[in-house]
Amino acid sequence: MNDGEGPGSQHAGQLGPVSGAMGMMTKQQADDVGQRPQYSMPGILHFLQTEWARFEMERSQWEVERAELQARIAFLQGERKGQENLKQDLVRRIKMLEFALKQERAKYHKLKYGTELNQEDLKPPSLEKKEEDAVDGEVMPSAGNVSWRQGRHLLRQYLQEIGYTDTIIDVRSARVRSLLGLQAHAAESEAEGAQPAIVQMNGEVPSKRAGDQGKARGKKMPASLVDSALLDSEASVLATLDFLGQDGMEDEDNLSDEDDGLAGEEESEVKHVKKRPKMQNVDNIAMMEDDTETEEALAEFDFLVEEAENGAGEAQSHGDGPEWGLQGGSSIAFPSDSRKQIIGTDPDDESFGEELGELADLTVNNEADQNNYDISSPKEAYRKTWNAKYTLRSHFDGVRSLAFHPVDPVLITASEDHTLKLWNLQKTVPAKKATSLDVEPVYTFRAHIGPVLCLAVNSTGEQCFSGGQDSTIRCWNIPSSNIDPYDSFDQNVLNCTLEGHTNAVWGLSVHSSKMQLLSCSADGTVRLWSPGQKPPLLQSYTAEEDDGAPTSVDFVRCDPSQMVASYSSSNTYIYDIETGKQVLCINTKSASEDGGNNQINCVVNHPTLPVTITAHEDRNIRFFDNTTGKLIHSMVAHLNAVSSLAVDPNGLYLLSGSHDCSIRLWNLDSKTCVQEITAHRKKFEESIHDVAFHPSKPYIASAGADALAKVFV
Amino acid sequence: MKMKMADGNSAVLRRNRPGTKAEDWCNWSDEAFEEMDSTLAVQQFIQQAIRKDFTNIEEILTPPEGVEEGVWKYEHLRQFCMELNGLCVKLQTECHPEQCSQMTATEQWIFLCAAHKTPKECPAIDYTRHTLDGAACLLNSNKYFPSRVCIKESSVNKLGSVCRRVYRIFSHAYFHHRTLFDEYENETYLCRRFTKFVTKYNLMSKDNLIVPILEDQNAIDGESEA
Repeated sequence: MNDGEGPGSQHAGQLGPVSGAMGMMTKQQADDVGQRPQYSMPGILHFLQTEWARFEMERSQWEVERAELQARIAFLQGERKGQENLKQDLVRRIKMLEFALKQERAKYHKLKYGTELNQEDLKPPSLEKKEEDAVDGEVMPSAGNVSWRQGRHLLRQYLQEIGYTDTIIDVRSARVRSLLGLQAHAAESEAEGAQPAIVQMNGEVPSKRAGDQGKARGKKMPASLVDSALLDSEASVLATLDFLGQDGMEDEDNLSDEDDGLAGEEESEVKHVKKRPKMQNVDNIAMMEDDTETEEALAEFDFLVEEAENGAGEAQSHGDGPEWGLQGGSSIAFPSDSRKQIIGTDPDDESFGEELGELADLTVNNEADQNNYDISSPKEAYRKTWNAKYTLRSHFDGVRSLAFHPVDPVLITASEDHTLKLWNLQKTVPAKKATSLDVEPVYTFRAHIGPVLCLAVNSTGEQCFSGGQDSTIRCWNIPSSNIDPYDSFDQNVLNCTLEGHTNAVWGLSVHSSKMQLLSCSADGTVRLWSPGQKPPLLQSYTAEEDDGAPTSVDFVRCDPSQMVASYSSSNTYIYDIETGKQVLCINTKSASEDGGNNQINCVVNHPTLPVTITAHEDRNIRFFDNTTGKLIHSMVAHLNAVSSLAVDPNGLYLLSGSHDCSIRLWNLDSKTCVQEITAHRKKFEESIHDVAFHPSKPYIASAGADALAKVFV
Repeated sequence: MKMKMADGNSAVLRRNRPGTKAEDWCNWSDEAFEEMDSTLAVQQFIQQAIRKDFTNIEEILTPPEGVEEGVWKYEHLRQFCMELNGLCVKLQTECHPEQCSQMTATEQWIFLCAAHKTPKECPAIDYTRHTLDGAACLLNSNKYFPSRVCIKESSVNKLGSVCRRVYRIFSHAYFHHRTLFDEYENETYLCRRFTKFVTKYNLMSKDNLIVPILEDQNAIDGESEA
């Protein structure tokens, strides 16, 4: 009964709440049945089943959720790990930078004050390395520490040797800044334009370029590749971190602003770096500016590291900088590789302004990287910069003169150590650092007794002439530049000796087509020779007593029957070669400053225009017209006496060397200095004796009193 | 030579400008070592001392205060090699491969030229030239002597071998071209200075110093040779 009723009432009970009609019945039934709860078996079962189903569903939902959450946790953990590694690397970099900075400061301090700075913390940062860290970058391995130290040591040595005064550096940097003030804006717009070019490029290359320029940014004197790689990494870290944070996009602008603010300084630094042809030259100002810059860089790091940790999910993928495999392996391939590169190079472009722009041009045009040995700089887009390439060391005393072979990459130097040496630029000494190549001489010419003071090579490159303090002029047959330096002695190299002068021969000039040689000597005469003829002496020109001694001679290029000679009294005359008469007196004396003897150290003629250019002891360079003798232009060229001049074979540029240890390249149209290179150290009060252009190849060379000759490309 | 007020201290500008007469070469007043501002101060100092009086060997070889011994030796060796060019020029006129086909001094030894990959028996004049060129390369090489202000310890040994080879030029000249040798020696006192230099700094063993260079011995030998 109950069972029968139960189900019935159960059903009724169930249906009851469903419909009202049923409800009545249910109520009735409920009333009938009484206060007993309306449980029927099917109802209960059903209820249980639904509940159970519900629970199961919830459970499965929870399972799913849990799985999801676990995945998320794993993901976040991985990300966190990535960030930790990144942070560690950055901290390590920071430590290294700080250490380097401290060292630089110490050096600077030592230089400036001659005492050691208090070196409390000056020990290399203890680089606790985990395995992964050792994977870092190409050239920045832990072994980098060792070679880095070597680089530092070398730097220290070079610093010791420099002995630059601050005033020279100040003046130069001011001048450089003024130069750069013109260039900065123009160049940046170029950089922007160059970005699309980067997009299409192979992702690797521009970042590498950026990295390479990172070294300029780092502003350390990149004495070693390790240093530069360190700075590469720094730059690329900055680049990647810029992209990292979601907010990174806005922050990029901030960064760029900061960088632009620094741009002035940076570019001046870059210019400084450019103008350091060799590692030898360290700029104290660079170090000082380094301080502010490095601090700012460090500040940026803090900022960015924070960013990164808050950062987006993509952060991990970009933790792999283009240059170093931070995580030891890019486990997560980033799809937006090229895109990252663009962004990555953005701040680079803005911060490195012109350099990257030009380098982008460079990479578009020629893949080959020729800048590996030039630490100093990339080429400017619209102006070629000369960088030191070869150092010619073999002389024992100051090099007084040098001359290039007309065709081959060969030059000859004449020195106060009584010898001349023949150098072949293609035979370089294999060196560890490819920054500047050393060259060893191929042949040594010995015959002079006393310092050799001047040198000239004839236009065929077969003969050269040298004049010395022993008042002789020697004619040499130039041996082939491929001979073995340690070959047997050939008597025939010395062709003949021209004797006739009675005192030191200071200047030589060879005619471009005829086999004629002009020489001037401290005995007051200028002589014309025709070596090979007998007698070789053709003419002798003597000037007035009070003109002093002739210091320099040159043939007038436009008019082959004339020659110009300058004197220690600061007079200059043009002579007719045939008659020996003075044709014109160039107003060099009246144009120059009064008071004191303003000697002219060098006179050259322009190859195409009738212009004579003179280098004065009063630091000026003056231009005169050959026909009228009037002064065309005069400019203060250096900080000390100008010792030598050279005009390039096309007549567009002028090189001047001075005893202030610098060489300057001038544009002859605008008469402005387009580049300044610091080279050579002083011996007594002299530093650069001679400069020269190669007649057909893009080489320039300088001869110094420190027994070195340098060649720039 | 101009007297110009370059700075407050010195009124002399030490420069050999174009147009300077040979007799006026470096014709400026001496500078104390402490005042020398350049990085090539040691070379300047040595050259100054030699110009002042080349016979006063003691003074030339005495280092001033504060000069590292390595640097002192190095710069002196450079100066010796430079001055030996003069002797070499003289020898070039007289020393021909036909007569002096080997580098010898006394009859005992034949010196092989180390400038080649395998030591070669060069004629005397070639030996002289190669040795001087090789010394120039070594002393100027960036690998061994990257700096002129601070000499690496490991490179100091090289100085000894350079001295040894260079000495052979003296000994050959002494025994085979005596007139030239005397002429040159009187002009420069080079061999005396060199001998004194190597003995003072122990750069060569005494057995190798075969040129009799002490004053009394020289006089005796001179008479006997004549």
